[in-house]
Amino acid sequence: MDDLVIGMAGSGGDGIVSAGESLIAAAAYEGYHAMMTKSFGSQVRGGESSCRVRLSTHKVHNPGGVLDVAVALNWDDFLKFGAELPVSGSTVVVYEAKTGVAPDALPLVGVAPREVFAVPIGELARQATGTDKAKVTVVLGLIAGWFGIARESILRGLGKKLAKKGIEVVKANERAFALGEEFARTHPLATPRSMEKPVGEIGRKLLTDGNDMCAAASIFAGCEFFGGYPITPSTEIMQFFTREVWKYGGAVLQAEDEMAGIGAALGASFAGKKAMTATSGPGMALKTEILGLASIAELPLVIVDVQRGGPSTGLPTKPEQSDLFMAAFSAHGDVLRPILAPTSVSDTFDVTVAAFNIAERYQTPVIILSDQEVAQRKETVDPIDTTRFKIEHRRVPTRAELEQYSRFRMTEDGVSPISHPGMLGGNYQGAGIEHNEQGNPTASGKIHAAMNEKRFRKLAPLKRRKDLFHIDGDPSAKLGLVAWGSIAGVCREAFATAKAEGLDVKLLVPHLLYPVAEEIYRDFFASLRAGFVVELSHQGQLYRILRMFTDVPASVVSFCRSGANPIQPQDVLAKLREAASALQQPVTQISAED
Amino acid sequence: MSTPSEHPLPVCQAKDFKSDLKPIWCPGCGDFGVVQAIYRALAAIGRPPHEIAFVSGIGCSSRIPGYTTAYGFNSVHGRALPIAQGIKLANPDLLVLVAGGDGDGFSIGGGHVPHAIRRNLDLTYIVMDNQIYGLTKGQLSPTSPRGLKTVTSEYGSFENPVNPLLYVLAYGAGFVAQGTPADMASLSQVIEEAIRYPGFSFVNVQSPCVTFGEPEQQVKQHRAMMKPLATMGHDRTNRLAAMGLAQEYGRSLHTGVFYADPAPPTPLDGLVRGRQAELAGKGLPRERILEMFLQK
Repeated sequence: MDDLVIGMAGSGGDGIVSAGESLIAAAAYEGYHAMMTKSFGSQVRGGESSCRVRLSTHKVHNPGGVLDVAVALNWDDFLKFGAELPVSGSTVVVYEAKTGVAPDALPLVGVAPREVFAVPIGELARQATGTDKAKVTVVLGLIAGWFGIARESILRGLGKKLAKKGIEVVKANERAFALGEEFARTHPLATPRSMEKPVGEIGRKLLTDGNDMCAAASIFAGCEFFGGYPITPSTEIMQFFTREVWKYGGAVLQAEDEMAGIGAALGASFAGKKAMTATSGPGMALKTEILGLASIAELPLVIVDVQRGGPSTGLPTKPEQSDLFMAAFSAHGDVLRPILAPTSVSDTFDVTVAAFNIAERYQTPVIILSDQEVAQRKETVDPIDTTRFKIEHRRVPTRAELEQYSRFRMTEDGVSPISHPGMLGGNYQGAGIEHNEQGNPTASGKIHAAMNEKRFRKLAPLKRRKDLFHIDGDPSAKLGLVAWGSIAGVCREAFATAKAEGLDVKLLVPHLLYPVAEEIYRDFFASLRAGFVVELSHQGQLYRILRMFTDVPASVVSFCRSGANPIQPQDVLAKLREAASALQQPVTQISAED
Repeated sequence: MSTPSEHPLPVCQAKDFKSDLKPIWCPGCGDFGVVQAIYRALAAIGRPPHEIAFVSGIGCSSRIPGYTTAYGFNSVHGRALPIAQGIKLANPDLLVLVAGGDGDGFSIGGGHVPHAIRRNLDLTYIVMDNQIYGLTKGQLSPTSPRGLKTVTSEYGSFENPVNPLLYVLAYGAGFVAQGTPADMASLSQVIEEAIRYPGFSFVNVQSPCVTFGEPEQQVKQHRAMMKPLATMGHDRTNRLAAMGLAQEYGRSLHTGVFYADPAPPTPLDGLVRGRQAELAGKGLPRERILEMFLQK
């Protein structure tokens, strides 16, 4: 076996997420590719809590579909996660015997799991440690026992994690782990399944989530200021800055509200520093006015919107891709601001560095549209060679240019050298009011039109940035997928399976969502007889935007559903198979011409 | 106030801070006096224009940075303070001024004032308080007196005004003063003192609106009405006494310094420098920052 998906659920205090973290840390240390997502009710404490850990000997792109192993500490909590923890005929179900549910009467309608184990988890924990607290350690022992995973590394990790609680606690947890293993040994799986050893070296993999990756990438890109306001699921970015940014001579401001957060960041940019803010949908709405100011004042700024279910408070702890319209269009006046989207923890690094480079080069706000899944899932990342990234800085005026400085000088590429306070001779008036080349206020329609044209023209080269688009598969393929954000990972897996099945398919994953690179899409669509733009939103917002800005053939349709209703690789695969078989139907005139 | 530039430049005079732009203000507007007072204060301080960042919001008075030669930022309504704080945090060497009207500071941007005060960055906030919305042609402002008839209070306002002086004193501002263009010497003096104060400083300027303001509240009348605090034996180190006098806002026109902390604490920008110095070099080199995620 080379791939294992484990889902666990319990109530808030059970330590489910902590168990998942122990497991993924051990797996990462051993060199497995791994991914972990957490899911909660929106309660702070108590309520239901779950995690899903996927381990593999090869690179994985999404947290997996149907569970290979389902662990339920109690059924009420497990069932609340519904489609997030799907059980099928291939799943081994492990649950707390104390729930009193008979193995042949599980509350899983219409599913006959492969194997079912009622384990006295709480009792084993008490036997080992005297309390219930080590329940999840028993579960780790069970998993290690049945699937032969990372035994030593899990114990090593637990030892490190619990060290500050004292040697007694460590020993007690070791006993709990051993009892779990022992249970697995005395109750073997009907068909033994053991994970293959990973190929990678020990201790070489990075392990982190998208929010921390985004923050670390920002510091790598030279960010020296963060202003923001706490909001789920983006807050970890600010928390990272409060720990780290001082070490690099920077500063962070936890502001009094979302407007002040972006305002302070914009101020820092005006003062010449690379700056960012991060938020989620409701906060993004509040920041919109200052986004407009950043555009007209032509100041570099990176804004992260970690999308969650909306509108309003919506589903604050669940992923959705429904802020794209807001990011692109929630503006007063004619505004073009680039929008980038990461698809994994790993490429959050690339996207964040690209966002800073675009912001600085073109003196513009850039929005990173992340989502709850990419932002909060943990993922193993192969070491990134940072030397292959070029760091860009805003173009400051030369000494000669400062002799007769015009902040908003009309240049061929639309980018005017930008000074900052402290620079002798660069003094100018930054403003939200329309201005002439010198920066002085104007109400002239002629100047306004020229400035609008300049502000759009400078961003035109982005549409030719092929490096911000990833295309896989035969360029002449008849089937196609377009996917962004965390759903791109799902589509990568569906694409790989479809290719293996012999389907004639290709995949387009844009990192740049906006402005729409018309030609890249047009070229991609040209060979298609059927295609899907796959998104986690009710409207299919990218699909709608593509139709607005480029020619989308009628054969390319939207495949979307509301957030918190996971799209699994097999769902996408089913669409592709269906489309492929429809294309093989003879007799229609179109296929007769082929 | 921040340390002066290391490279001595020719000493600037008041006229060096005046830009070529012609103010949009109506003839007789109090803001003409305020900008003159700012020129004089800046000349006395001695920092050159390029080391000054002057941020404002929206309103007639918020045009003021453009009439100086400093780096100006005429931003959006109500957000001058957050933007100014970002500037100061990004570069504590700059002299940072913030200005705007009573609507900008105490209505749409009112939520930022307490936080700027408690955060205590070294910057100076000048409010040109005219008790009316002038740019939008005469609506009620947060400091309009109760009963005032305007285009949005046809039969007289039902609402009590905000008291800017009491507001900032109550939140703990370390330097609070008031002035009027009717006394230019005192106005430029308090602005200069405010800039020199090492922390958040606040100057409320009674700057009458000549077009929509009340005829009995113009600069001419101020000369007769004003009560210089210096002549009243007021102890400027006594916050409670200052708050007592501030209660008379709207009834009396006190000018001068209400409160100046005799032992100002280190402003936030100073604390930030301290933390940066303490933690400098403690991080992984930027190009190796991802090593913090290694599973060892």
